[in-house]
Formats: sequence, structure tokens, C-alpha cells
Amino acid sequence: MASETVPEERPGAQRPSASRRAEETPAISVRCLTKTFGDFTAVDGIDLDVPRGEVFGFLGPNGSGKTTTIRMLTGTLRPNSGSALVLGEDVFGHPDRVQRRIGYMSQKFSLFEDMTVDENLKFYAGVYDLPPEEFAAQREYVLSMADLVGRENELTRNLSVGWRQRLALGAATIHEPELLFLDEPTSGVDPVARRQFWDLLYDLASRGVTLFVTTHYMDEAAHCNRLAFIYRGRIIAEGSPAEIRANHMEQRIFDITTSRADPALQWLETAPGIDEAYLSGASLHAVVPADSPLDDGRLRSRLVAAGFDDALVAEVDPTIEDVFVNLESRQR
Amino acid sequence: MSLKRIRLLIWKEFIQLRRDPLLIRLLLIMPVLQLILFGYVVAVDVRNLSTAVVDLDRTATSRSLESAFSGSGYFTITQQLASENDLRPLLDSGVVKVALVIPEGTQDRLARGEAAPIGIIVDGSDSQISAIGSGYASQIVAQFNTDRRDALGIQLAAPGIDARVRVMFNPTLDPINTMIPGLIAAIMMISLLAIMSQAVVKERESGTLEQMFVTPIKATEYLIGKLTPYAALATAQMLLVAAGGLFWFKVPFNGDFWVVFTGLFLFMFTCLGLGLLISLVSRTRHQAQQAVMFIMIPTMVLSGFIFPIQSMPAIIQPLTNLIPLTWALQVLRGAFVKGSGFEALAVPMLALVGFAVIIFGAAIVATRRRISE
Repeated sequence: MASETVPEERPGAQRPSASRRAEETPAISVRCLTKTFGDFTAVDGIDLDVPRGEVFGFLGPNGSGKTTTIRMLTGTLRPNSGSALVLGEDVFGHPDRVQRRIGYMSQKFSLFEDMTVDENLKFYAGVYDLPPEEFAAQREYVLSMADLVGRENELTRNLSVGWRQRLALGAATIHEPELLFLDEPTSGVDPVARRQFWDLLYDLASRGVTLFVTTHYMDEAAHCNRLAFIYRGRIIAEGSPAEIRANHMEQRIFDITTSRADPALQWLETAPGIDEAYLSGASLHAVVPADSPLDDGRLRSRLVAAGFDDALVAEVDPTIEDVFVNLESRQR
Repeated sequence: MSLKRIRLLIWKEFIQLRRDPLLIRLLLIMPVLQLILFGYVVAVDVRNLSTAVVDLDRTATSRSLESAFSGSGYFTITQQLASENDLRPLLDSGVVKVALVIPEGTQDRLARGEAAPIGIIVDGSDSQISAIGSGYASQIVAQFNTDRRDALGIQLAAPGIDARVRVMFNPTLDPINTMIPGLIAAIMMISLLAIMSQAVVKERESGTLEQMFVTPIKATEYLIGKLTPYAALATAQMLLVAAGGLFWFKVPFNGDFWVVFTGLFLFMFTCLGLGLLISLVSRTRHQAQQAVMFIMIPTMVLSGFIFPIQSMPAIIQPLTNLIPLTWALQVLRGAFVKGSGFEALAVPMLALVGFAVIIFGAAIVATRRRISE
């Protein structure tokens, strides 16, 4: 393919950069995409635009249509209607033109567990028909990136989850895709490994790879340049994290810590003047209307009066999670 | 299609097969053991049937007839009775399975050149014993008559002892010769379905199938890459099991090697295709295993492997044509036992080709459709 130029050589374990962003077509451009399974509409007429080089977060609860969308965008599932240009190509008409230039990593990591680290890399390199010199450089890069130097001949089933995840990322990007789809890549991975993994994703993004990441971890949303929130097959909010917070959150949020979180939550849910209350991490969040007369002191004294003597109250800026809990409850 | 990618997929498949500790056992050792075990079960040869003799003639002829029976190895004379009336309780209780009744005057009748009827009573509660036992008995009698004529130099048409039993089929009386070829096919089908049905669904469960179809790998490349290593192993299995049948059970091989090979080869592809199809449409390994059971049971019952198709109700008989094993049995039994060639077996051979084409066509369609769902 004409667009596949040989990447420039870089010394050491550094990965040659994706140097083929000559044509600045958007990475993804989707119009009115719809997919139904029987009576169930999994994706309901969505529009999406992802410019090149972005870390695009595609958020939503389980079953909201995230994976279905990714499958359509990677050319493995045909939509009922709508169009999608991926890297400027019609992915439904010519999936083969797209598949060479994209990468995909699922939450299952998709390594052959009965094959060694090296064999997995060799297989995926062969699938994309990498020339031997290029494979040698990529292999070296992936092994050092995944911290697997010296373990090339271990079966991947014997690797622990963080290593498997990084190896899967290496295998999925061995052909240096311009666009990488990650479908809940961090599910089931411990927080430390998640953090390390996001460092690797930033690294890819810094070299111009467009990332399309689905997750249901709301804290990961903050890692993205842009977000879209899909709920029941529809996109209900889109923009940068700051835009989403500004445009979709008129209400104010109080953060409440108390040793008796459960009864406090029950009290808050029915207390007058409070729109909504829910658990957020170790504390409680209470949502009040923008024009509410409540402030930290007043809310605290009401809590103390209700028997929660140790309650600590602080008004906070809404997190992405707050916005989405709010959006979701408005949709219902 | 890219040959390079197909080679890569085959390489990958072989690596995985090599690391599967159960595979060689399931594919090569188990079928041979099954053949030997089942071979003995299906081929129960009726020997040493306990036999009562009611000799009312008490002549040299009657005694030599008795010794012809006892000398055959199939009958062991355990009782000598004075009267037919004593027989019934012995047969009822199963103490004897067969009784030989030689009426008074048998030798005289033969001497006069008349037919001399004798009675052979067989325990009908076991159809196998009654069929095979009576068959052996009439053979012994026929042989006895021939020997007698030869000894006396009498002409062929002269009547001899007339045993009141007849053999309708299987004149060699050796069930092993028809059962072993069928068993080879049945065992191949069981083991290939069991293994092949897991091949794709395993990758669906681990997510690697999904991964591969985001890459430039095409559905047909994937199928060829998947099938080739299994076909190679299945061919080895086929030769091993067929050799086991021929050499262990000493089935007389009257047929042409290439006819048998072609028949088995076509049937092997039908089995691999069927397994592949099951694997493609199943969502879990468990589902695939159940689908195999669902196919195997009617196959065993309706193919004619166990029960003769001719004895099935007329409405059921056309159904047996839908079962690949039915045709494989026709090819194998015909080629092994009767020595039939390609011409005589054209219909069942073409039927097997038809099954293979339909099944693989469906597999390609299923790959294109199901991968994405």
C-alpha cells in the first residue's frame, strides 16, 4: 500500500515513530451509525469525529454499545445503516484497506496462551508481513517496553496480568498502526499496572498514534483529550473533559466523609434540597441545584443534627464521574 | 488469499497442537484402543454354545453327526437326553442354548436314499446367538452331507440330512468382517468431531479469534490454516486405525487400497468439516460438545452401523441418506468385504463429496457471518 512508508530508523529500544500522517484526514468520522440485533438496538444512529493524534475516550456502562461500535469501526461487523470513514477509508466497503493500518486490543488481551512471548510476536508480525529487520527492531522495543527481556521463551499463560497486558499492547501495535482501538484494556488490572499502562498509551499518543479507548473506569476518563459518553446506544455527551464538566453540570457537588456512610447515604437520598446522592470512592457525593442556599457549614450542621457527628463536608468541582452519574440519571 | 499468511497460520496451529498434551492421546492412541476394545464387543463370535443332544437313532450316523457338532468348536455337548420332553426345562433355564434332535430311523432313511429331517432348536431369547448358532448348525449339517456323499460316491442330487434351519445372510458367519470396516469409520468420526469441534470455539473464548479478524487475515485463510494441520493428523489417524483393523482383527482385505483410501479420505473431510462447522457456530466449548453428542447419537442409530437399515420402518429409511456415515459404511463394507471398485461405489462416493462441499461451503459462510457477532 502506498501509504506504508518505511519508518525512520531510531537507535536502541526506541520505537520508530509512525511517520505516515501525511494526509490529515480525521482518524474516525462516523455518521448515523446504527446496529440492531433482532429487536435490540445496540448502537442508535451515532455521530463521531475523532481527529488524528487524539486520545479519545469512549465511555459508558456495560452493554451501552461500546464494543459494538468498535467492532464496526474495525471492520468485523457490518452496521444496519450509517457510514464510517476510518483513516479516510470506507471501513465497510474496504475493511482490508483499513485493517493493515489499525491496531486492536481487547480486554481479553487475545494472546495465544499456549505460545511463547516470542512466538506471539512472530505470529502478529507475520500477519502484517513485517520485513525481518523491522520485526527485529519492533521485537526489541516490545520486549523492553513490556519488561519481558529474558523471558521470550515463556508461555504467555504463565505471565501475570500486567505483563500479559503490556505484551498484548506490543503485539497489537507491532505493525505501528496509525489508529489503535482499545476495548476496556485495563479491566481486571490492578491500579499500579493501570497507571503504568496509561503511561505507555501516552507514549504512543506522543508519537502521533490516535487512540480510541473504551473504559468504564471514570477516573481514566481524565486521561483523555476528548470524551464521548454513550448510553443505551446513543451519545449523550461529547467534548473535552473540561467542556463536558462545564456544559453538562449546572449543579454543585458536596463531598461528604463519615464513618457511617450507608445510613448517611440513605438520609441524603431523601433529604429535602438534595437532588441526588451516591458513593464516590470512599466518600459520598451529594448533588444540589446551582441556586441552592446550602454551603459546607449548613450541610454539615444538618448532617450533625441527623446524627452524623463526624461528618466532614467540602464543596468540590464535579469530576467526570459526577457528570456521568448526573447525565445517566437524567436519561432515565 | 496470501499463501504466506496461510503458512503462518499452519505454523501457529502446529505449535499449539504440539503443546496440547491430550491431543496425541485423543487423536492417535484412543482410537486404536477403542477399535480393539469395540472390535471384540461388536464381533462376539459365538463359541462353545452349550448343547443338548437327543439321539433317538443311536446309530453310527447319528454319532458321527454329534461329533461333527462337538468337533466344530461352536457347540459343546453338555447333555445327552433320552427324550425330547427333557429338553424344555433345560432351554427354559438357559442351561443349554442349542438342542440337536436326531429322530429314530435317521440312518435307515438315509440308507434308503430319503431325506432325513433333524431338528435344531435354538434359544431365541438372544437374537445374536440364535442367528449365528443356527447358521453354524446348518453349515455343519451341510458339510456333513457333502462329506457323506463324497465318502459313498453318491450323486449330488441325493437327499441327505435335512436340517430345519436356514441362513439368510452373512454366509461366512463372521460378524467381524462387516463390523470392523464400519467401526473404523465410526471411531474416526467420534474422535475427529470431538477434536475439531473445539478448534475454533477455543479461540473464540480466548478472544484471539476476534483479534485475528481485525488483522488482514481472511476467513478462507483462517479456515485453511486451521484445517490443514488437523487434516494431516487425521490422515495419520486414519491409516493407523485402518491398519489396526486389518492386522489386529485379520479382516480379509479383498478390496483395492485406493478405493478404501479414497472412501476414508472423503469421509475424513466430511467429519473435519462437520466439526469445524460446529466449532464455528458454537459460542462456548460446552455448547460444541453438546452439539457433537446431538449429531453422534442419531448417526450411530440411523446409519446402519448398529441396526440394519433394511429393518427400519419405511418412513425412517430415507432419513438415513442424510447421514454421512451411512454412505461411508457402504463404501467401506463394499470395498473391504466385497472388493467393490470405484464404479460400483460411485453413488456413495459422490454422496460423500456432496457432503464435504455443502459442509465446507457452510463453514465459509459461518466464518464470515459469525466472527463478527
